[in-house]
Amino acid sequence: MLKLEHISKTYGNKNEKAVDDVSFEVYPGEIFGFVGPNGAGKTTTIKMIVSLLAPNSGKITINGIDNQNDILAAKKQFSYVPDSPELFEKIKGIEYLKFMADVYQVPAVERQERIEKYLDIFEIKDAVNDPIGSFSHGMKQKLALVGALIHDPQVFILDEPMVGLDPKASFELKKIMRDHCDRGRSVFFSTHVLDVAEKICDRIAIIKKGKIIEVGTMAEIREKAGSQESLENIFLELTE
Amino acid sequence: MKEVVNLTKLFINESLGLSLFFYNQKFNRKEFYKQLFTLIIVPVALIPAFFMYVSLMSATYFGLTMINQTSVFLSIGYIMATVLIIVFGVMYILSEFYFSDNIEELIPLPISQRKLIVAKFLSILVFEYIFAAFIFGPILIIYGVGQGMGLLYVLLSFLVFLTIPVLPLSLMTALIMLMMQSASLKGRKDMLQIVFVFIGLVVIFGVQIWFTSQLGNGDEVDFQLLMNTMLTNNEGFLNIIGYIMPTSFLMAWTLNKITLMSFAWVGALLGITLLSGALMVAIGERVYLKSIVSGKTIKKGKQLSGAQRNKALGKKSHGAMAVFTMDLRLLLRTPVYFFNNISVVIIAPLCILLSVSFIEIPPEDLQGMQDFFRAMPLLINYLLIAFFIFFGGTSATTATTFSREGKASWLTRMIPVTARDQIVGRTGVAMLIQSLGIVFTIISIQFIFPLTLSTLLVTVILGILGSLPILLFGLFMDMNRPLLNWDNPQKAIKNNMNVVITLFVGMAYTGLLIGVCGLLGYFINPLLGYGMFMMISVAISVVFYKVINNRLEAEFLNFES
Repeated sequence: MLKLEHISKTYGNKNEKAVDDVSFEVYPGEIFGFVGPNGAGKTTTIKMIVSLLAPNSGKITINGIDNQNDILAAKKQFSYVPDSPELFEKIKGIEYLKFMADVYQVPAVERQERIEKYLDIFEIKDAVNDPIGSFSHGMKQKLALVGALIHDPQVFILDEPMVGLDPKASFELKKIMRDHCDRGRSVFFSTHVLDVAEKICDRIAIIKKGKIIEVGTMAEIREKAGSQESLENIFLELTE
Repeated sequence: MKEVVNLTKLFINESLGLSLFFYNQKFNRKEFYKQLFTLIIVPVALIPAFFMYVSLMSATYFGLTMINQTSVFLSIGYIMATVLIIVFGVMYILSEFYFSDNIEELIPLPISQRKLIVAKFLSILVFEYIFAAFIFGPILIIYGVGQGMGLLYVLLSFLVFLTIPVLPLSLMTALIMLMMQSASLKGRKDMLQIVFVFIGLVVIFGVQIWFTSQLGNGDEVDFQLLMNTMLTNNEGFLNIIGYIMPTSFLMAWTLNKITLMSFAWVGALLGITLLSGALMVAIGERVYLKSIVSGKTIKKGKQLSGAQRNKALGKKSHGAMAVFTMDLRLLLRTPVYFFNNISVVIIAPLCILLSVSFIEIPPEDLQGMQDFFRAMPLLINYLLIAFFIFFGGTSATTATTFSREGKASWLTRMIPVTARDQIVGRTGVAMLIQSLGIVFTIISIQFIFPLTLSTLLVTVILGILGSLPILLFGLFMDMNRPLLNWDNPQKAIKNNMNVVITLFVGMAYTGLLIGVCGLLGYFINPLLGYGMFMMISVAISVVFYKVINNRLEAEFLNFES
């Protein structure tokens, strides 16, 4: 469903690769966790997947569509929530949701049903007519999540989704992620919360200094590491 | 003191983006050269305007010499500099004190409110001194050289110069702080900013209109008459401003004739200036942070029922319409954007309307004007076309369309909207604003003389068509070099070179197009001129449309590179 093949990216300093020959695949029905220390290249990788950055080399296909050859078709396959969702502050929540529904061409009935459902789940129904500028960080995150779920994407991509969410919203999000995958779609997310990754991910990739150092199920990672310890301990050993 | 200096440096660094500039020099050469280009091109572009200004001031001085009234020269300059400092300062004060993101980070730190206020004020003052140097500096030099003044004049004029921006800015800051306090409590910060700047513009424009109306009823006006009117009329401009701004008298007494008393006058001027600064700080200490904290409460919308939510979500709209609506909402609801992109279409026609109502034109003169334009329909048509293109070219709506979104631009780049829809939506907003200007202008002009249907048709169609290439060029510029990394929406417009480049290119293109087609129309056939105008405009628009359409998706990938 999401495939990265030999992706590399450098910024200003050409000698230093932010992402270095990264390859992995996310299968249908799978929650895929992407973990790594700060500055390891997680956000850069995600930005290349969601067409916010162009890789220097390599190929990314989303639901079989090359995101460099047919950007628009690729964009229709996923939705994305960044780690710190900067939204248009002067716009009301409901206007933002209408905008998202319009750009993804969601029919009237479906948009109403989905928005009602997710506004209820994230408990922001009462605030949806307020300007986004008046929202807290967590509320912005929730609004961005509702906006991203409006078109029921094939691949749901999230960068540090648990940061800023209250425990109930985190719990609901994890449920939504699982439901999403149970319907044959995929979730790809980065996180620092290794406990969450360990519990809900079907497979995990660990990235360090731009390179994938481990990828597989928890059992496979444990086996390769030769230990039965938690992901946290394995992660600390691998990334030291 | 050290803390104030450090804070001031921090604010200046933040305003100019110095740290980022030096970082880019080492790690991102492409971005560094872009910034360097901006740093060089802006002053260079302003050189001709500065020389024109100096020439105008020199001519004014020599005009005053002829009527033996040079003493009024410094007062004119002082008042002009003060008014300009207020006009440009209002937005800076509002931006630095109330709309800058840094305050959120500074409030929790153990920094006294007084230091914060002083440092913020000083950071504005640095830019205003540079501005004042270009406005008031030449006046001091022209007068000093003209009068053969000595070293004492240099010393005294330097002291006077030091006071120039402080007094108006202190008083404006204090006034803004008081007004913002009541506005913040009601969660109406944005609306107040719009009201504030409009009041400022109306006052300045009102003074100008009043000034013009003092010259007589449409008689032929020359410079000497203007000066005589000012000097002989006790209710004249200078005296009135002098009463409102008594420091202009102190300045004149200090510099017009150097005596021992000059030191007393300059001392008084410095004293008043310091007092005004102290007053601003004292008021600020009482209200500033309090209003910032309470101002964080943004006025909430009313809660919606399920049916209201469904109605608000509406039916499926076209992608171009979604982009159009979002862009328009951002323009209307962000005061800085509103003023830079929309106010011109209200103010320019308003100028025409107010000028007509204030200045009584004798019926025979009006008849003469009408006859002249009736005899030269080509001239009036092209003048109107130029005016209509002016709304398109100067609004900078497309030249800042992506920049205005700032850090939220990830959304625009991530959504599956075609390049065509982006172009149509964003250019559509600019055209809507331009059309408003056209409608307002036509209404205003009707008060002078009714336009014929053919003039209306030709000017509206060619005005909109002629501005389309400028709008698309603006979009092209912002697609290639958007300014997204800002902490204050003012920077998206004021620090954006795309605005300046689009304006200059747009003006040059308009002048050339109207010149060539006007001459064709005058010497060969008016229809040929209009036809050529349409063809060129359409051809350039198509070229830009195709380039943007082909490149936009790829350029979105470069916004963060």
